[in-house]
Amino acid sequence: MTKVRGADVYWNPITETLPRDKLMELQLRKFQKIVGWAYEHSKFHRQLYQDAGLEPGDIKTWDDIRRVPKVEKSMMRQIQRKEPFPYGDMLCVPLERVTEFHQTSGTTGQPVYQADTWQDWEWWSEAWSYIMYAQGFRDTDRVFLPFGYNIFVAYWAGHYAGEKMGCEVVPGGVLDTEARILKMQELRTTALMATPTYVLGMADTARSMGIDPAKDLQVSKILCAGEPGASIPATKQRMEEAWGAKVHDHVGATEIGAWAYECTAQPGGLHVNEALFLIELEDIGTGEPITEPGRRGKLIITALDRMGQPCIRFDSKDVTAWAEEPCPCGRTFRLIKGGVVGRADDITKVKGVLLAPSAIEEVVRTFPELGDEFEVEVTKKGDIDAIALKVELRPEAEGQRESVEARLVEQLRLKTNLRYNLEFHDYGTLPRYVLKSKRFKDLRPQH
Amino acid sequence: MGDRDIDKRLLQEMDDRIQSIKKAALELQELCGGIQAVYRNADRILASVKMLEINVSDVLDVL
Repeated sequence: MTKVRGADVYWNPITETLPRDKLMELQLRKFQKIVGWAYEHSKFHRQLYQDAGLEPGDIKTWDDIRRVPKVEKSMMRQIQRKEPFPYGDMLCVPLERVTEFHQTSGTTGQPVYQADTWQDWEWWSEAWSYIMYAQGFRDTDRVFLPFGYNIFVAYWAGHYAGEKMGCEVVPGGVLDTEARILKMQELRTTALMATPTYVLGMADTARSMGIDPAKDLQVSKILCAGEPGASIPATKQRMEEAWGAKVHDHVGATEIGAWAYECTAQPGGLHVNEALFLIELEDIGTGEPITEPGRRGKLIITALDRMGQPCIRFDSKDVTAWAEEPCPCGRTFRLIKGGVVGRADDITKVKGVLLAPSAIEEVVRTFPELGDEFEVEVTKKGDIDAIALKVELRPEAEGQRESVEARLVEQLRLKTNLRYNLEFHDYGTLPRYVLKSKRFKDLRPQH
Repeated sequence: MGDRDIDKRLLQEMDDRIQSIKKAALELQELCGGIQAVYRNADRILASVKMLEINVSDVLDVL
């Protein structure tokens, strides 16, 4: 068999290296189709578009895309639990075509239910195959998945994509952390998928068992999701050193799909999968489109081929910026700089200053004297905001508290323009998380 | 022998095969008289065919 150029590098060299003008033409055509499909098959979408005075045929150019009303998570909450139960009339297929149920974690409110047909589920694993192949997963890998296999979509599609790619998938479901580490050692697993928090937590537990993940385990690649950590250089470095493995990020969401991924070139950003998704970046305040690199905005995302419960111009609230340079990997898919840096509704004003929680993580994780866990609490005393930062000093750094405190306060001030009340806690006493962490707590009265 | 470049002819050849598989799977569903063991497995083939269309056939439309 004569190989196609790029077949060893890209999951699909046809789409991943398509010239940008062709890529945009492809996206526009697919966008027209999915809007037409939703208009025809979902009462929710038809009403939404009719209220906006829009018919699918009105979308003729890229500029017309912005005429299509956005969908917010709150709109999905309103229609759910109604007929067709429990998804409501956003559904575009008869209920008997639905084969997968998942729901959002409910971090920002009442969980949202997500229906997928078997074709949509194939599409999920297709999106993950783009990710995993770009990150070096191959059919020679034995992949360990230490997650709870439950109603949350998490790594389910990673499991199915691993199978599709020919990997050997080891489901580490109900085992506790120690048992998972022993199983990984026993099976000599070569790859791992987990949240950054759990990747660091597993390394910590392994060390307490006398196992050094970098030396005693054989994991060479780790795929992260769920939190921005793998795109935060200091956190990525911690994970890579702890495991002696390459760590790559990806972003996805239950209502959207897995839409962006880091490649092995580790360019300081993530490729948007523009074969499967149409991504718009817009100004958080004005809603104006952002096409130039470097300016932060929030993402509006369309899944171009998800048919059962479509995701069309979904207001993801994820905040990022376009990157400037093309990636050395040769993909023509655009890059978002530094991954998703936070959510528009997480970025909050403290003492009149805009604060993204990821900026605090960026500082804390550069201190080797500190443990992997930390917590931030914002409170209000009278009219004044206060921020407490809880950290753990590693036992071997016990004599360096004053020096660490002085440097940490200074670095935080430089990075975030804010002063923090530092609290040092005993090593191992702050909460540990398996999936998404809840390190940022805004305890101010909400108005 | 060097690697082959991706060109429209290659995509067209692949798309021809994809459409043949799709046609055969749909015919199988028509023929099977409701036998679930046939209908459901053909359905899975069609879901995979859709992924092939996303990766190949849809791109052919813009080349």
